[in-house]
This record gives sequence, C-alpha cells and structure tokens, in this order.
Amino acid sequence: MISATEITKVFGKNTVLKNISTTINKGEVVAIIGPSGSGKSTFLRCLNLLEEPTSGEIAIKDVKMTNKNKLEIRKNIGMVFQQFNLFPHMTVLENVTYAPRKVKNIPNDRAHEIAKELLAKVGLTDKEDAYPNRLSGGQKQRVAIARALAMEPEIMLFDEPTSALDPEMVKEVLDVMKDLANTGMTMVIVTHEMNFAKEVADRVMFLDDGVLMEEGEPEEFFNNPSTDRAQDFLSKVL
Amino acid sequence: MDLDFNQIVPYIPFVLEGIWATLQFVIVSIVVGLLLGTVLALCKITKISILRVFANVYTSIFRGTPLILQLMLIHYAVPQITGYDIPAFLSAILAFGLNSAAYVSEIIRAGIMAVDKGQIEAAEALGVPYKPMMLHIIMPQAVKNILPALMNEFITLTKESAIVSTIGYLDLMRRAQIVQADIYRAFEPLLFAGAIYWVMVFILTKIGGLVERRLRQSD
Repeated sequence: MISATEITKVFGKNTVLKNISTTINKGEVVAIIGPSGSGKSTFLRCLNLLEEPTSGEIAIKDVKMTNKNKLEIRKNIGMVFQQFNLFPHMTVLENVTYAPRKVKNIPNDRAHEIAKELLAKVGLTDKEDAYPNRLSGGQKQRVAIARALAMEPEIMLFDEPTSALDPEMVKEVLDVMKDLANTGMTMVIVTHEMNFAKEVADRVMFLDDGVLMEEGEPEEFFNNPSTDRAQDFLSKVL
Repeated sequence: MDLDFNQIVPYIPFVLEGIWATLQFVIVSIVVGLLLGTVLALCKITKISILRVFANVYTSIFRGTPLILQLMLIHYAVPQITGYDIPAFLSAILAFGLNSAAYVSEIIRAGIMAVDKGQIEAAEALGVPYKPMMLHIIMPQAVKNILPALMNEFITLTKESAIVSTIGYLDLMRRAQIVQADIYRAFEPLLFAGAIYWVMVFILTKIGGLVERRLRQSD
C-alpha cells in the first residue's frame, strides 16, 4: 500500500531522516514511536509529500508520488494533525463536506449524507452547525478525523493526534481510532500513547535521531526491544 | 485678531464641490490600489521567483520615493516623453493608485502570511488545489487580518489626496487655496477645508471601527 524507499530529509545542516525504508501493507496499523526530535512526524509527513524528501521515494499502491500527482494521490490519504487544523470559518458540517464537494465534486446532498454518517460515527451529530471554536479539543479532533474520512481514503495518517488534548479527552479520540482500525483501515500513527500502540498497532517502528532503529510486532518490541536506544526509551516512558 | 468667516460664505458651494472631486479620485485610486495590490501580494507569495522579484522591486520603489515626486513625474514628465497631455484626474489616480498598491500589497501579504500554516497543510493533505485553497480557506481568514490595516490605508490616502492640488486638480484643497487667493485671507478657507477633511476621516474611522467589531464578533 505504502512503500518508502531510502527516505532522507535534510533541513539546513540537520539531517532529520536517514535512509529510512519500509513497506506498509493494506489494512496494517503502524505506530511510529521514539523520542521527540527523532523525525517521527517528518517521516509521516513525507508519506503524503507534505514534506518533500531530500532523497528517496514514496510509492502509494505502486505509483511513485511526485509533485505532479501528489494532489491526486492525497485524495486517497487522510491526515489528522496534532493541532487539529480545522477551518475556523466553517461549521463542523462545512468542514467535513468541503473537500468532498470541492475536490471530488460530489453533489451537495451526497456530501451531506456522508458527513452526517461520519459525524454520527464519531459521536458529534449534535455539533453539525457549531463552529470549531465552540468545541473541546477532543471534539475538534474527532471532527478532524471525520473530515479526513469524508474523502473516503484508503490510508489514514495521524500526527500525534492526542498530544494537544487535555488528559480526559484522550480516550474519546483513541476510541474513534480504535474503531477505525477495526474496519481494516490502513493507518500510520505517530504517537506517545504506548498503551494504545501496544493494543492497536500491528507493527511498531522505533525512530531515534532520524534512524529507523527497529521495527516489529508490538508484543515483541515492548517486551524485548533489541537495541539499547529502544530499551532506554521504553524504560523512560513505560 | 482679525477673523471674518462671513467672507467665505459665497464660496461655500464652490469649496463643497471639492468634496466630490476629492472623493471621486480617492475612490478610484483605492479601487486601483486594491486590485493591483492584490495581484502584487499574490506575486509576493508565489513560488515563481521572477514575479516575486518584480513585486518586491515595485514595492520598494513606490514606498521608497515621495508620493509628490511620483505625482509630478506622471503629470509633468510623461507629457514631455510621450507628447500626451495627461489630464490631472488621470495623473492623480495613476499616482495614488500605483502608490497605494505598494502599501496594500504589503498589507495583504502580511495578512495572508499570518494565517496559521496548519490551514494550508490541512487543505493540501485533503488534496485541495491552490486556487480553491486560497479562495475558500486562506483568504476568508486573511481578510480578518487585512481589513483593519486596509481601513488605515484608505484614511491615509484620503488625507494625502490633498497633494493633487499641486498639479492643478480642483480638489478640496485646491479650492480652498483659490478662495484664499480671491479674498486675501488664508485662515478661514483653510480651516473650512480642514474641518471637511476631518469629518471625512472621522466617518471613515467610524466605518473602520464598525468593520473591526463585526469581524471580532465571528471569533
């Protein structure tokens, strides 16, 4: 579904990603973890070319992603941000229907149907007409998830979706993500929620200092990390 | 002290006509400045470097030289080169419009840049192309940053408009000067014109305040 080949990213003098390669299969849920500044988010953002790798290539369903086809391919890749990035001048319903209407040219009625279904799924039916600034962080993030899903993507990327939330709102967002994982969605999640990663992910990627130190099944990784760096990291966060 | 406002009474209609003369070219100049300024602002944020350089050089020149010099160049130097005897009204809207565009482009550029970068990323991640993204997502938010500063620019333009009197355009200021020459009195006609300018700016300021309050309401 997603293949990243020798991804390197340089910002000025900093090499934040060093030669990362991996393949993510259809329906797989991958959690990317690691210390802050390790390049997790940058790697995730490379997957939909929001960040252009300095070298290496990304292919989605065997099609190489380029600046020319990236808008087309992104229709198939939803993304959820740490800071939600909802459109503040649009209501919840407008946020969710905008891209389907303007990008996929889906008729209004149909876009509304899809949006209402999704908002029901994330438990926000009563907030349709509210503006984002009237919502709590957890509600905003659930709207953001619904907005991304409205494009009916095959892949969903999550960039620390619960990091900006008050603790009591983390669960409502993680629950929505769990449901999504159970539907067979291909998901790549940058997260600090180790328990969530352990429970939901099929695979964990551990990044440190721009290097993919190890990857494997959560069970194996959390119980027997093979690298010192991973052991050290886990001893601090668990 | 020798003040006699009775003497300007016969000239009041003549001076008042200057309000319309002033407003006429101020409004046209604002429209020209706004349109050209928007185009320049878009040039400044594009990835195409030649457009960026052009817009920046333009702004640098028009903000870096006196407006009165630009006005004189257009009104007196253009006929010398082209032989076309340019009417004062056209010179005025050209000078003020081109000059205002430089300031407006900076206001709009800054307003667009102030929109949270996450908004662009969210739109890009959804596959929204550049044009609808700017039109539906970035601009509506940028307007909130832009409008208050833009109102200030209009106010400045209205006041600065008085310098078109130097090329013989019959605006409010010029008319006050004509009355002054007619009755050999400076204080009364100038004070009268000054009061009119103040009222115009006062009204614009009020409108600006209203606009700002409306914008804040939707926050």
